[in-house]
Amino acid sequence: MDLARAERLFQDGLLGRSRDILDRVRGNAREDAAAMFEIYRNAYRSRLAESLGVDFSGLKALMGGQAFDRMARAYIAKHPSRHRSIRWAGRDLAGFLAAEVPHRDDPWLADMARFDWALAFAFDAPDAPTAALADLAGVPPEFWGSVRLRFHPTLDSFRITTPVDEARPRLLANPGAALDRAARCERALMVWRIGHDVKFRATDLPEHQAMQAMQDGATFGDMCELVARALDQEAGPLRAAQILQGWLEWGIVAAVEHDGPGSAV
Amino acid sequence: MAERPSASDVTSLGFGLGLRPQHYPAILNGAPEIAGAVDWFEILSENYMVDGGRPLATLMAVRERYPIVMHGVSLSIGSTDALDMDYLARLKHLAARVEPAIISDHLCWTGVAGINMHDLLPLPLTEEALAHVSARVDRVQSFLGRAIALENASTYVTFAQDAMPEWEFLAEVARRSGCKLLLDVNNVHVSAFNHDFPATDYIDAIPREAVAYIHLAGHEHNRTYIIDTHDHPVAPDVWRLYGHAIRRLGAVATMIERDDKIPPLEELTAELAHARAVAAAALERTAQVA
Repeated sequence: MDLARAERLFQDGLLGRSRDILDRVRGNAREDAAAMFEIYRNAYRSRLAESLGVDFSGLKALMGGQAFDRMARAYIAKHPSRHRSIRWAGRDLAGFLAAEVPHRDDPWLADMARFDWALAFAFDAPDAPTAALADLAGVPPEFWGSVRLRFHPTLDSFRITTPVDEARPRLLANPGAALDRAARCERALMVWRIGHDVKFRATDLPEHQAMQAMQDGATFGDMCELVARALDQEAGPLRAAQILQGWLEWGIVAAVEHDGPGSAV
Repeated sequence: MAERPSASDVTSLGFGLGLRPQHYPAILNGAPEIAGAVDWFEILSENYMVDGGRPLATLMAVRERYPIVMHGVSLSIGSTDALDMDYLARLKHLAARVEPAIISDHLCWTGVAGINMHDLLPLPLTEEALAHVSARVDRVQSFLGRAIALENASTYVTFAQDAMPEWEFLAEVARRSGCKLLLDVNNVHVSAFNHDFPATDYIDAIPREAVAYIHLAGHEHNRTYIIDTHDHPVAPDVWRLYGHAIRRLGAVATMIERDDKIPPLEELTAELAHARAVAAAALERTAQVA
């Protein structure tokens, strides 16, 4: 048996796809090959489940330890890790929960996983400076419409339909905390980091849509129109300016760029 | 700025600990229990192969005070998948920042067909695997521009086709590639029990000039097998084997590796002080015999 085949059979054995490896490995004087190989199988599943429990602490508190462990093992079976660091092994978990029966019937699960993942991502995403209101004040008025934003690289923004942002701190403080699991909401969360501290904030959907548009390269002029369509024509520009001011105050903008002289571009 | 602690002379590294987040405040605040007790820290490389945030900033602050050894788990030197050049580029980038005294990983493979099992899996001890690993170590060292150290992992099965004992395999990889060895004395003890060979045979066959440093750790004894858990204090049998290793190898940099159930720092520094005492006694005995 060449090395490539030996490794393939060993891995297939760990993944439960084949038992052929058991004819090719040995145990010891006290335990047979199957019993000793089981040590590797257990270690594989429990290590990944444990790591997911750390990265998805809100979800684990929401589901309870045993249900989380069962779910984690099902996820691992469907999504073996393809990442060099175990820290990324949960990248597909929110999508798994949103798609798979029975988890997809409970929208809390995918929302909480998405929230946990954003917090973990922001923790060690790239460092970057933050722009300040003064950077916006320096834009010549005639170029305001051309303002574009480079957002902080730690920023993640996503919609939720369950109030996981309110529930997560309560659950972590008290895993048995009673929740109204019938509660629903229509909002978005933004998660980012200032210095070493991870922050999050709830936003309404017009603001979330405005952020998505600006992340895709829209200008402040485009954003004003977008917000105006979502609200009413008169309130739009004022609301857009308030949103922009908030983003700068919270530290989620890395740079303000525009078509005029002195732009950061 | 004060000069960074020298990391060029590996033999003078002394006695170290694994750097764990639970101990960051004590280390950075210069807690009394580490003053003079810890000479260097080993990091788990992958935990710091990130783009920013608190882990990297903390590591660089620790590096200003202590030599650092980088220890990885994802090199997968024995895998028949292609070497992950993106991983190696990140490892090299981290090494450029940290200026580690040593870069180490394991004699193992962690997955094939693009999958990572996140475990240190055993290799068939064959001439084919020996040639494969030696050639890959050579490529990794060329890319990094320095020698790496390979650690003996604990194993629970052996392959029916094994053609040599692991110590012979490891020594030959070192001879062919010029790599260094990270001798984990606990892992030797675990594998020796699991595969019914004398642990001293392993220690005695290791080329002493190749050993860069030693790991000491705890394990879980399950009567018919031992699992390398790294979540217990070092066991008495392992202390005895460590003394044997020092008598044979001479003064070698040594560290306590605790990966789980991390105790307060003073518990680990006490264990490290015991390692110093065991090593000193072993060296004294060697001198008396000489």
